[in-house]
Amino acid sequence: MMSRIYPIARAVVADSLRRKVVYVVVLFAALLAFAIPFLPDYGLGVQEAVFREVALALAFVTAIVVTLSLAANRVPGEAERRTVYNVVAKGVSRWEYLVGTWGGIFLVAGAAVAAFTLIEQVIGFINYGVMMWVLWEGALAIWLEMGVIAALAVAASAVAGPVVVVTLTLAVLFVGHSRSTLLGGEGALAFRPFFPSLDAFNVVNPVAHGGGVPLEYLAGMIGVFVGFTGLALIVGGTLFGRRDL
Amino acid sequence: MSENNGSAIGIQGARKRYKPIVGAPQRDAVQGVDISVASGTIHGLLGPNGAGKTTTIKMLLGLVRPTAGEFRILGEDSTRPAGRRHVGFMPEQPYFPQHLRAGQALKLYAQLGGVPKSEIGPRTSRLMERVGLQGREKSTLDAFSRGMLQRLGIAQALINEPAVVVLDEPASGLDPVGQRDIRNLMLELRDSGVTVLLSSHQLSEVEAVCDDVTIMNAGVVAAEGDLDTLLNAEGRTSIRARGLEGGLPPQVQGLATDVAVSGGVSVFSVADEAVRAVIDAVDDTGGRIVAVMPVRDSLEDYFARLLANTSGEVDVR
Repeated sequence: MMSRIYPIARAVVADSLRRKVVYVVVLFAALLAFAIPFLPDYGLGVQEAVFREVALALAFVTAIVVTLSLAANRVPGEAERRTVYNVVAKGVSRWEYLVGTWGGIFLVAGAAVAAFTLIEQVIGFINYGVMMWVLWEGALAIWLEMGVIAALAVAASAVAGPVVVVTLTLAVLFVGHSRSTLLGGEGALAFRPFFPSLDAFNVVNPVAHGGGVPLEYLAGMIGVFVGFTGLALIVGGTLFGRRDL
Repeated sequence: MSENNGSAIGIQGARKRYKPIVGAPQRDAVQGVDISVASGTIHGLLGPNGAGKTTTIKMLLGLVRPTAGEFRILGEDSTRPAGRRHVGFMPEQPYFPQHLRAGQALKLYAQLGGVPKSEIGPRTSRLMERVGLQGREKSTLDAFSRGMLQRLGIAQALINEPAVVVLDEPASGLDPVGQRDIRNLMLELRDSGVTVLLSSHQLSEVEAVCDDVTIMNAGVVAAEGDLDTLLNAEGRTSIRARGLEGGLPPQVQGLATDVAVSGGVSVFSVADEAVRAVIDAVDDTGGRIVAVMPVRDSLEDYFARLLANTSGEVDVR
């Protein structure tokens, strides 16, 4: 199983690294990160916290752009160009193909987040003289959330085109972070346990303004990641398995 | 690895019905197709565009979900991934991830095909040479011509040393030398015990290499069998003879048809069972037999006639 998933993931990584989009997005985000300390309403005394908060937001947007640009058209493109024929005809299960594709995108998204976080850390050190190791906790949360987003995009792309995939994924992202807004009323509170919330990955407060993310919370976050990702890939694998190529 | 009554590939009752857009009639792209390919042979799959050849192959290889039917390769259900592990497939106009180098692409497919790590390098070099791409391992595929991609497609189909190879229009896009190479490669594969299922529009290619053929039209099997039987026209033999300037011997005249004389050579055809008597009669009158051969249709003629006869049998519901 892994002997088939791993080469697919590696091929996705190789393909992604040859595309310019990853480098361009990270570079552009890095330029923006250099500008953070020059924000006009940078409050005295809270500079480091504001820097971390904006840096996390930039990292999140960077990761979203990288993940969606890689995930939305990967499967539809391979089906259209028929490159998937050679893979499936070799005895590779369709779900193995999907998981391998997801794995490659997840790794590239992780590399992009790591590269950007490193840049943020250097900028933070240059400006404030401290190594903001806590940024890596935020990076982990963003990376895991991108894993969920990539799984959702790959699953949707098993049966839909890139426009639908991007729209659906952004909608889920919006809804996933709107539980408090959408289910804020007392009557709606009963639905909260069933709401597909991505708030578990929102660690802005402890990273930017607090003392970091507790280990137990990180473990729970990984659990949420495994649950959502697994569910999305199972649904995607089932849908892709029923599709004519 | 079990085999099924000597058949390397067995398709029974294959059917593919595409669900229509609301209001449109249902359509069977393929229905009731049975194909049996004996081990170690080259089997041709022929038919005009839209005959259902590619759909049948796709169902066999798990690319399209069959509506009905049984698909077996080496005795295993080939619609399941495990049943395709000993298969090599080259789709029509093979495409590859363009960013990869040729060597990387073959390595990827070797890994997916379960080739042991230590064998990937030597096997890649051997196959690149075999398909005429030696020295191009490091070239990126976006620089490859269509013919080169076709050759690489054949290499990827063979990288896991499959017992069964399915080739969909393998000579498409190749120059005459390339087409000859592919023909020789298929014959080599057969000689080494590999079973080849060849889907092709190039009838000369099929006629040159195939032991048996299945001809499809409008989603059904229109004819099948070995080429000699299919193309042998009504049990007649063609005879060419010299020295018959005075005309055919009297005892031959009543038996011969399609008589033609050109450059001192008389050509005529007789029933198979009359061949011995006709040769004796020619000898007795001082004639000299130049050639005796079964009257055989060209595959082109047979194909055109068959399609004309079976047109209108399209099952559209």
